Amino acid sequence: MFELLFKYPGPVFSRGHFVLLSAWPAWLLALLITIATVGLAVLTYRQIADAAPKLRNWRVWVLWAMQSAFVALVLLLLWQPAMMVAALTSQQNIIAVVVDSSKSMAIADENGKTREAAALDVLQSGVLGGIQKRFQTRLYRLGGDLTKIEGLGEVQPTDGATNINGGLKKLAEDTADLPVGAVLLLSDGSQNMAEAGGSGIALETLRALGNRRLPVHTIGFGRTEIAHDVEMEGVSVAPSAVVNSRMQAAISFVQHGYAGQTAKIAVRDGDKTIAAREVKLAPNGAMQTEKMFFSAGEAGARSLQFAIEPMAGEENANNNAMTRPVLVSDAKRRILYIEGEPRWEFKFIRRAEDDDPTIQLVSMLRTSENKIYRQGIKDPSELADGFPSRAEDLFGYAGIIVGSVDADYFTPLQRELLREYADRRGGGVLFLGGHTSLSDGGWGASSVSEMFPTFLPAGRNTFHRNAATVELTPEGVDSAIARLLDDPVKNAERWKKLTYLADYQDAGSPKPGAVVLAEMNVGKRKLPLLITQRYGHGRTAILATGGTWRWQMSEPLGDRSHDLFWQQLLRWLVADSPGPVTASASAHTLMDDGNIRLSASVRDAQFQPAVNAHVTAHMMGPGGVDALIDLQLSQDVAGEYSAAWTAEKPGGYLAEVVAQDTGGQKQELGRDTLAFRREDGVAEQFHTEQNRELLQQLSAQTGGRYWKPEDVKDLPQNISYSEAGVAVRTTNELWNMPAVFLLLLGLLVAEWMLRRRWGIV
Amino acid sequence: MRRLQLAAVALAVPGVVLGAVAAQQAFREYPSVEYGRNIPLPPDWQRPGEWTFARLMFPPGPLDGYRGRFDGPWQEGLSLWTQDYPRADRALANAVRRLTRVDARSVEQSVNPDDGDDIYNWPWLYAVQVGEWGLTEKQAQKLRDYLLRGGFFMADDCHGTEEQAYFEKTMKMVFPDRELVDIPNDDPIFHTVFNLDNRYQIPGAEHLATGHKKDGYVAHWKGIYDDKGRIMVAFSLNSDIGDSWEFLDDPRYPAKYSVLGTEIGVNYVVYAMTH
Repeated sequence: MFELLFKYPGPVFSRGHFVLLSAWPAWLLALLITIATVGLAVLTYRQIADAAPKLRNWRVWVLWAMQSAFVALVLLLLWQPAMMVAALTSQQNIIAVVVDSSKSMAIADENGKTREAAALDVLQSGVLGGIQKRFQTRLYRLGGDLTKIEGLGEVQPTDGATNINGGLKKLAEDTADLPVGAVLLLSDGSQNMAEAGGSGIALETLRALGNRRLPVHTIGFGRTEIAHDVEMEGVSVAPSAVVNSRMQAAISFVQHGYAGQTAKIAVRDGDKTIAAREVKLAPNGAMQTEKMFFSAGEAGARSLQFAIEPMAGEENANNNAMTRPVLVSDAKRRILYIEGEPRWEFKFIRRAEDDDPTIQLVSMLRTSENKIYRQGIKDPSELADGFPSRAEDLFGYAGIIVGSVDADYFTPLQRELLREYADRRGGGVLFLGGHTSLSDGGWGASSVSEMFPTFLPAGRNTFHRNAATVELTPEGVDSAIARLLDDPVKNAERWKKLTYLADYQDAGSPKPGAVVLAEMNVGKRKLPLLITQRYGHGRTAILATGGTWRWQMSEPLGDRSHDLFWQQLLRWLVADSPGPVTASASAHTLMDDGNIRLSASVRDAQFQPAVNAHVTAHMMGPGGVDALIDLQLSQDVAGEYSAAWTAEKPGGYLAEVVAQDTGGQKQELGRDTLAFRREDGVAEQFHTEQNRELLQQLSAQTGGRYWKPEDVKDLPQNISYSEAGVAVRTTNELWNMPAVFLLLLGLLVAEWMLRRRWGIV
Repeated sequence: MRRLQLAAVALAVPGVVLGAVAAQQAFREYPSVEYGRNIPLPPDWQRPGEWTFARLMFPPGPLDGYRGRFDGPWQEGLSLWTQDYPRADRALANAVRRLTRVDARSVEQSVNPDDGDDIYNWPWLYAVQVGEWGLTEKQAQKLRDYLLRGGFFMADDCHGTEEQAYFEKTMKMVFPDRELVDIPNDDPIFHTVFNLDNRYQIPGAEHLATGHKKDGYVAHWKGIYDDKGRIMVAFSLNSDIGDSWEFLDDPRYPAKYSVLGTEIGVNYVVYAMTH
């Protein structure tokens, strides 16, 4: 029908360029049309006043518009309009036919056939034959890699991954010296090996195709939505933890067909379930994120599986779980606790930390005006001169607690060092309430008041030895620091029932960006109890009391609330404090692709970037993988070292990064270990529905077209309109299109009928 | 009307009981066997502090030396536990204030272990004449709970083999599986503020002439440790450290005893607040 009216097929118009073949200038056409329409307007307006005064309204302009359109169209035809379009010459071009051969193509959701079978059917039932009548073809199969094949018989849905990006880029590069006119891709679009650029088509690939003007026509297979499925979308969990710490994971998933039903989510370490709970499923297609708390367990590298138990009648149960590597370390982090007076809080914090194998509390306590009682020191010289005055002495600690100590006890240099400790070194500083703490200790007027997470109140009468009960804020309910019980509701209730604090302090109002995790009820007032904030590269916090010790003494024997709270608070304090060497990886889970970039940030004792270090990574992996690689200093970022490496085999890997000073003493600056994992064939089980959007986007961006399998009749003809390969440009005149004559005729007839209707004929 | 009154009582009684359980007991004074009520309160007695000298109230036992003289209800004072009270308590509190940065309350707190959970509000506890006490099974359980939660107990003024045996017997009610052992010199408790390697017997004021009481000729410094090597119970056998505090400002009592006694008391307080 289209061709009957418009004489040429659609691509002539969609891909061609409009031209005027007449030698007369185009501006003349525009001028004449303007003169004609204005002239008609004047003439019509004047004459209608005499001929039919009643029609001197909008009807006049309708008639004028129709007359003007008629004149304009006739003038346009005089200028000989045409479409110029490039078309591939027969038998001189190659059409690359790429068939997705990944495992997801084995899903039988094409009227009982597998996607692969449906794709082969489409090719064999005329499309491939139609193309081969005009062009040569090259067949490829696409999985994690692109492979040229000799016949469709070599296509089997067995590849463990799909890399459309990489495959098309490779095709463009490999056929650079061949007259490839177009690419035909048959796929479900379930790309799971996307490089930079996420799950879309990378700019680099588009550029490679665009440079050759290669259009990619796509035929999509598979359902765009699965009726009954729960699919894991992602798991966010820290790649490292300390032994027995309370870990938090955010598990995101989407479901179809089970809205409102209850599902069980679980965290497993091997065969052992370490956490599980039931959740109510969100509406169909809505992303749902649930938090899970669990213990990191013993030291070692482990692969934790985060799973949703399969639902009844679920079509794909292979996308219900994800595995993440977690490295559990038993390294002790040292926290410096300076306390200005003996007090019960000090004792009970120390006792709580005695039970934490990952924290060593190094304390200096002013027992009298000039006596310091030190505990937890590694040798007699540690803190022998009091609070450190040099960065290399202070920055070695992973966290600092400042108890009931006057600001004036510190020299200005020490105070600035304390501020730099959080700001530049990235450590955590916790200030406790007390009768010489916060405002009562003069910190509000000190030079480092900016590092506090609150605006400390003026005056020095903010500490009171009176009882205060506690409760969590909504932020506290979500915080791992305050999680005494796994169930968030029960945990919030537990906090409300905790015995009262022995004392409280008004810490002032939180600063913008600070988070209040717990509050105190003091009479009818609420005061912030636990306030945290990020400060520079580190973090600071206030616990506005010295009286949590009552949680230990007045709760029943065996109640772990006090110890758990302090262990979690202090672990938070040091968790993100970097060591001299901080190793990182481009990804902790490699899906089907073993390429990984290892990076290490190396600092010296003063936590300045170390630019003269020798940094190596000892790689250990499955099947006896054992390699030593050198990391090279970055030219862009001081103290950053990196190297690329390939994990050839699937499984868990460990990388131990060691930095050595290349100076005279060649001493070790530090070391760090990270774990990562390569998983092959797993990603293919996810997002198994047809990614039509990706295929449409790919076609649109390359000048091709997305086809449904049932609409491919015109594809062999359509594919020939391409500027790639060996193409000729044809000029297609438009003046003799039936549609033009019909339009001219239609305008005249319509005007005549309107005139009759309005009584001016 | 009567029903209404009964209902009010029924509601009020649990409320009072719960209040007593949850709340810390206020300062209270009892008449003592030595001073009755004749020791004046210091001017700042109402000022709260971080550390309070908590004196354990207990019933007299079979070896009670005051039997026949003070046989009234022990819960009301004028009983064995009030020996040296309150003068010794306030003297140590004053010394702790002067010698350390501990924010000490000027007056003591008498703690009855039978008063609900009140004992848990006072993590430092002192008891006098513990060889003569009559700790009950229920009180022993409470004391065990208190110590395992983190409380510290200083047991003093126990003299001779008979009292020692009785004290050890009662402490077996508290900790059947733990022994009273000699505290070595290098234990932190003797070094928190003062280095107390050189300790000697501290006799009570009544026994200055002999230097000892009963057959307690040699001073021992014993303790019961928890599983992490921290002293929970510090037991000064054959010494009367309470007297050394009580007579701190009495010229008739030798200063050397008060000095050592005070240093031991200060060390014990700071140890209790750091371990």
